[in-house]
Amino acid sequence: MCLHGDAEAWEMLIMRYRRLIYSVPVRFGFSGADAADVFQAVCLKLIEHLHEVKDESKVSAWLITTTTRQCIHVQALKRREASSDEEFEEPADPAENTEDIRIMVEKQHTVREAVEQLSGRCRNLIEMLYFDPRSLSYDEISQVTGMPVPSIGPTRARCLDKLRIILRRRGVKQ
Amino acid sequence: MRHITNENLIDYMDGRASVDEMSTVESHLMNCGECEELKQEFHSLMTRLQEDSSFEPPAELLQWGVNLFQPVIRPQTAGGLRKIIASLVFDTYDQPLLAGVRGVGAPPRQLLFRAGDVDVDVKIESMEANDRITLVGQVLSSATKFFDNTPVKLESHGIVRYRTRTNVVGEFSFDEVPKDTYHLSVDLPEGQITLFCVHRGNS
Repeated sequence: MCLHGDAEAWEMLIMRYRRLIYSVPVRFGFSGADAADVFQAVCLKLIEHLHEVKDESKVSAWLITTTTRQCIHVQALKRREASSDEEFEEPADPAENTEDIRIMVEKQHTVREAVEQLSGRCRNLIEMLYFDPRSLSYDEISQVTGMPVPSIGPTRARCLDKLRIILRRRGVKQ
Repeated sequence: MRHITNENLIDYMDGRASVDEMSTVESHLMNCGECEELKQEFHSLMTRLQEDSSFEPPAELLQWGVNLFQPVIRPQTAGGLRKIIASLVFDTYDQPLLAGVRGVGAPPRQLLFRAGDVDVDVKIESMEANDRITLVGQVLSSATKFFDNTPVKLESHGIVRYRTRTNVVGEFSFDEVPKDTYHLSVDLPEGQITLFCVHRGNS
């Protein structure tokens, strides 16, 4: 759809895959500037090769492969520079190997995609409970959302069940 | 047999259930394979959610990605300037370093864009000391002509920030401009060439 000049479709695409693209270089241990470079390079490649990606369901696999390759390429450049310049700060080695990073990023993307499919109320609650680095208590969630504390437990159970069903329909084994 | 509710099951798994509820759930799970299976499924899901460590790109970077598409879709207005999108044909950032080449600071980034028979050669040099970049380039044609006195613009966030013109041999330069996300455009009689290349911290 982006091929037909739909800027909104492009924005949706970037919003949908932003974390997937950005998480790969971060997992490789890249600095913020290097991760940003990889993000930009991959966005450029995506816009150039979008017409080649016929099946929308293949976009995430294409992005993971492209981003991983870009990271390996940048890592090789950095290592090369580091070996010829002692003062150069070598990027940190990724905590996991490349295949582990691919698998983890893909899994996380699948879960995030499933969360995106929830209703706004459920999505907010799940994001606050599991993705918010502040580890909010029920009281704090109640203050933010206006949801009474006794409703949070049952709502959470319903939302998790919906999420479980969405993932099962997508063929994700729990 | 009456199954336990999802809420009770999740509270039990989270340790939020009371002692009595815990014991009820435990004894039920020992005798109900269906609920035990459901418990495993919730456990796996909650672990996945808790282990999520996907990273959000900075807002400015994300906006850059979103804006990337906009120059392509500007419609050609009657009597207006035709927009030509240049494609990147060479980028030193994508090239391996030559064996034996000694790195001294951040090397300049060299890019070559092509739009029809027009090439735009761009070199971006980063000055870490003052967080600025110098961008020099040349507009070339496969025909034996130079694009002299051609307007060249650097645009960021939809606003033209810097303007210059090419010299007699088609060269242009923007000296020590702040690092930012820029679109570079070159106004030719045939239309305006837009390049996506110039972005923050990429040199």
